[in-house]
Amino acid sequence: MPRSPANNTLAPLLRRLAGKLGERQAASELRWLAEHVRKVIGSGGEGDHHHHHHGILDRHHRQARLWREQPAVSAGEVEQEARRFTPVQWAWLRQAVSDRVEQHKPLQYILGNQPFGKASIATRPPVLIPRWETEEWMMRLAEMLKSRREALLAERDQSRRAGADRPLNILDACTGSGCLAVGLACELAPGAARIAAVDVSADAVALAEANVVRNAHAMHNPVAVHRLDLQAGDAAARLLGAMAEGSGGGGGGSGGGGWWDMIVSNPPYVTPADYAELDPDVRDWEDRRALVPAAADGQPDPEGVSFVVRLAALARDLGLATPARCPTDLPRLVVEIGGPKQTDPARQAMHDCGFALTEVWKDMAGVERVVLGYAKD
Amino acid sequence: MAAMRLYGSAAAALPAGSELAGKSHLTAQIHGKLQVLQSRHGELSRQLSGDVSGLGREELARLSRELSETARVAEPYGRLLRLYAELGELQQMVGAEDAAELGDLAREEQAAALAAAAECEREIIGALLPRDSAEGAGAILELRAGTGGDEAALFCGELLAMYERYAQRRRWRLSAIAMDRDGDRVREAVVKVSGRGVFGVLMFESGVHRVQRVPATDGHGRTHTSTVTVAVLPQATDVHIEIKESDLRIDVFRASGKGGQHVNTTDSAVRITHIPTGTVVENQQERSQIQNRERALQVLRARLYERERQKLASERRASRNRLIGSGDRSEKCRTYNYQQNRVTDHRIGFSVHDIEGVMEGAALQLLIDQLRIQYDLDELASMGQHQ
Repeated sequence: MPRSPANNTLAPLLRRLAGKLGERQAASELRWLAEHVRKVIGSGGEGDHHHHHHGILDRHHRQARLWREQPAVSAGEVEQEARRFTPVQWAWLRQAVSDRVEQHKPLQYILGNQPFGKASIATRPPVLIPRWETEEWMMRLAEMLKSRREALLAERDQSRRAGADRPLNILDACTGSGCLAVGLACELAPGAARIAAVDVSADAVALAEANVVRNAHAMHNPVAVHRLDLQAGDAAARLLGAMAEGSGGGGGGSGGGGWWDMIVSNPPYVTPADYAELDPDVRDWEDRRALVPAAADGQPDPEGVSFVVRLAALARDLGLATPARCPTDLPRLVVEIGGPKQTDPARQAMHDCGFALTEVWKDMAGVERVVLGYAKD
Repeated sequence: MAAMRLYGSAAAALPAGSELAGKSHLTAQIHGKLQVLQSRHGELSRQLSGDVSGLGREELARLSRELSETARVAEPYGRLLRLYAELGELQQMVGAEDAAELGDLAREEQAAALAAAAECEREIIGALLPRDSAEGAGAILELRAGTGGDEAALFCGELLAMYERYAQRRRWRLSAIAMDRDGDRVREAVVKVSGRGVFGVLMFESGVHRVQRVPATDGHGRTHTSTVTVAVLPQATDVHIEIKESDLRIDVFRASGKGGQHVNTTDSAVRITHIPTGTVVENQQERSQIQNRERALQVLRARLYERERQKLASERRASRNRLIGSGDRSEKCRTYNYQQNRVTDHRIGFSVHDIEGVMEGAALQLLIDQLRIQYDLDELASMGQHQ
């Protein structure tokens, strides 16, 4: 086979990335990019182009294949792999590094996906890329719902056990890529939930729908995606109407007349002041509407909490703050926030809307990240 | 120790110079231990068939349990010894030149007796079932290049390939948790091996593996000695070990600042410190921080579990002269000598003269079998002593 030209080495690409990311992270990103090239880019029809390589490389190639399950390869192995890239693959890789460094294009937009719990979420501009903090609390919430359901199913008392047989109707407000809805649908046991995912952006709705299809094989619960402006005056009425017709949450209660059990949301919470300071990776690429809340009444929102306030009111209007029907040991409103400065305003908004109890979860980095509202008997 | 006292006489059970000598899996040392078990079995059956009124109920239950445990080995061993005696006689008949016809007949009988003996051996080995619940679990295999620079890293890569091929043979699944590799050179590899009974098979691989050869890189043709440290940890499930959340410190990198929507970091590295033991694990292989945390927790759990096992094992070992299965990572366990085409396991003094076969994974089974037998016999031999 024709040998790759001598300039096809990873070192210059690594240097360029390191200028932006630092060496350690540059190595990781280059590894992921190269792995993507190997698996996805331009491999069609050239499968055996390396057939006549000498022994050592072939052995490496075979070994690399044994580990195929994950992209766990070191810099040295990436270098080995890259030697067999075709010109098309090299061109793609160079373009990717240039987009990453000069255009500040997020890695997830270049690769086109991001793992999120058991799901693989397709990512494309300008829809918000799932963050690890969101993934973390989604998993924690799913764990909480799972253990509660198991406890209920083990209950001797027939009437209490009955509660577990009914799927929870969950609303994912501001779904974006659909990651929370799809992630929960994957984590929760079959029949545990019916999830409705809504967003104001047409781009987001299209991507969320694509992600429902993309992850259908791993999902155990239905997800329906709708375009809906939650700041519109009739949002609560429309959501209640959908539930009454039995079309909310991918099916509503048995024979219609169901009700909403929970709202989960990663609403916009970046303040206008912070927005001006954001990395170009975020500011130049992701939808401003997904980041900075715009109050419906046009009032300034220097704290970045107006959407949380809106969600608390929506939850109240959907009857989530009152203890009726849904057990009180479940959070009824679960909202991501932008850090400790937003904790008190978010709690206050929930209390103002009738939630008896609130809880705060910190993320892995120790930052206050989620506020949960509970109704109480 | 009883086993040591009987060691000398055990060899007598083998018909010296017979064809059997090369075919048996049971070394003189193993015979010694089997005889201890056999005499213990005899003692127990005499005791229990006599007057047992003086024994308490618990004592009686314990002795009966020990009787049935030892019987599983002692009975086939008794048969094996009778076959040995028979084989000894047959050997003499075959050797007698003046009786050619009788010799043919003897050879036939000899073949049959040999087959029966092999069957007995298998039964003995089969009776020595794993006792440790961890043995049924998967394993985490850690390889680290030790002294010897590049040559150690090269050998580390070869050992990894050996385990890879061995796992393929047994249809186990491998997945890398962490890999510090540069071409052929592997500085460190942490690999998850999933399958049935993986730990029970690989548990004896823990220790220092030593290679003696002339490295390709040495122009003077000098023999170098390099080492690789192998650690095999049972893959603890949540049932095996509980880790308190409050005992963990989790560090995510570049975590300063507001996080969330404000930044889109791809830095997914996670470091977990288990505060009470000071154990630290790190992972940055995956793009998902959450997956990295899960993997790091898996490794942490395995390390803590192994720590517990080690503690128990050393308590038990204190009163017992056990050579293998201690999992002590500083113990020199095996030498791979290329010039002599020999792999020697120092814990059992057993050599395989087929280095390529071992590295291909096939002959590795011979070593593992020997270790297994010796380990099980040690376990059995110690049974009567620590009740």
